[in-house]
Amino acid sequence: MLEMRDLSLAFGPRPVLDGIRLDVRPGERIGVIGPSGAGKSTLLRLAAGLLHPDSGSCRNTFPRTRLVFQEPRLLPWRSVADNLDIALRAGGVPGDRIAARRDRWLARVELADAARAWPGELSGGMAQRAALARALALEPDLLLLDEPFSALDPALRADLGRLCAEQARATGAALICISHQPWELAGLVDRILCVAGGRIREQAVPSGRPDESAAEAPPDRPAGA
Amino acid sequence: MSATSGAKGARVRPARTSRRWSALGVILIFAGWEFAARLMGPMLMATPLEALRAIGVLAGDPGFWTHSLDSLARIAMGVGAGCGIGFTLGVLAGHDARLRGLLEPLRWLLMAIPPVVVVVLAMLWFGLGSGMVIFITVLMMAPGMYVNTVKGMRMIDAGLLEMGRVYHFGTWARLRHLYLPALAAPLTAALLIAACGGVRLVVMAEVLGAESGVGYALANARSTFDSGRLYAWVLLILGLVALLEFLLLQPVQRRLTRWQEPSHA
Repeated sequence: MLEMRDLSLAFGPRPVLDGIRLDVRPGERIGVIGPSGAGKSTLLRLAAGLLHPDSGSCRNTFPRTRLVFQEPRLLPWRSVADNLDIALRAGGVPGDRIAARRDRWLARVELADAARAWPGELSGGMAQRAALARALALEPDLLLLDEPFSALDPALRADLGRLCAEQARATGAALICISHQPWELAGLVDRILCVAGGRIREQAVPSGRPDESAAEAPPDRPAGA
Repeated sequence: MSATSGAKGARVRPARTSRRWSALGVILIFAGWEFAARLMGPMLMATPLEALRAIGVLAGDPGFWTHSLDSLARIAMGVGAGCGIGFTLGVLAGHDARLRGLLEPLRWLLMAIPPVVVVVLAMLWFGLGSGMVIFITVLMMAPGMYVNTVKGMRMIDAGLLEMGRVYHFGTWARLRHLYLPALAAPLTAALLIAACGGVRLVVMAEVLGAESGVGYALANARSTFDSGRLYAWVLLILGLVALLEFLLLQPVQRRLTRWQEPSHA
């Protein structure tokens, strides 16, 4: 379980998060939207243990928390397959299961043919799929998605969002996904939090299907609110 | 969706060094040497052919192998220990600003002091022989490796380090998969400089204060005005540097940085 209690954090004089209270239980899938600089990514980085709060507490008891960053962050000096292997080995997956799991996940993100390619040879979308495969192959129990699909085309975004949701449902994993577009979260999450000014302002249930008006909605007004 | 795009790999890269022109450069150096040798006479400078003939004579001399092996051992120990110490301190200092501050005056001192001063001091402290030569080489090689390692450490992509934390990379995995590959380019460049500089330094130290080794043999040849033998040793030293650079370090460098080449798949 992830528990954030009265959590505050400032970067220098600028408060980024202020009095955040949030509980995430196994199997819960949460979307986070909000304007740029609202503190969404900071929230995820706190959950991932990359940052520590100035005050309040952040307790994460999910043993396998994995974060997919906005950028792929693949090791440029290792092939796509090696990138997955290294993460799986670091994640404690037994050596005799690594190859099978890597191949299965590369196939699921349609990168089986690019397994031996270097990350620098991949397009942005392919690299982001490889990064997602790296996270999902570890079968996380808390998957944190920091706008990983923002640079992809809408069809691919929907595909990868569906893949994450399926995996979370299948394994009972919790999921937190940041997005600027509320409609991107439809089908992926159960509820949406709107973060603005460092606080959680609203909670909403995502709307059923993406449409142009939702895509154009101001980011601090979640679809379905 | 699964086709590999070469868009990012198609960078404009400077043309590779022309081997043909390099070969011409070598020929010009030998031609210049021949011309200078004829101008100065056999007492002061042997011709390239005389030097090559002298190598054949040297190879038959039992002292040749003793001197060569002594120098090679000193080079290996001095350069190896110097680079190892420089790299280890560089990694630690790259992590810790306090240690970096602490080591900075020493780094400056060692890089600023002329090697010949260190040779004179080391001769006083250690006397003549291997200990002195290795000590000097370590002292002179470590700072270069240290500086390159620290600079490389500070240029490592912070995003990748963060990824390593999120994916629970242990110390060994971080060193092997993050730091060493990221440092490969500056480290191999530093190693190249250290190895070539190390050979020169060992020979210089041996000329000034050793009782065996290539430098000692070189000094002997000079004192007996045996210019053929003297230039034979020079050629052998150049050959050793060439072996180190072209057959060992450059292939290692190419292998470690091959992911930067435009196409490998």
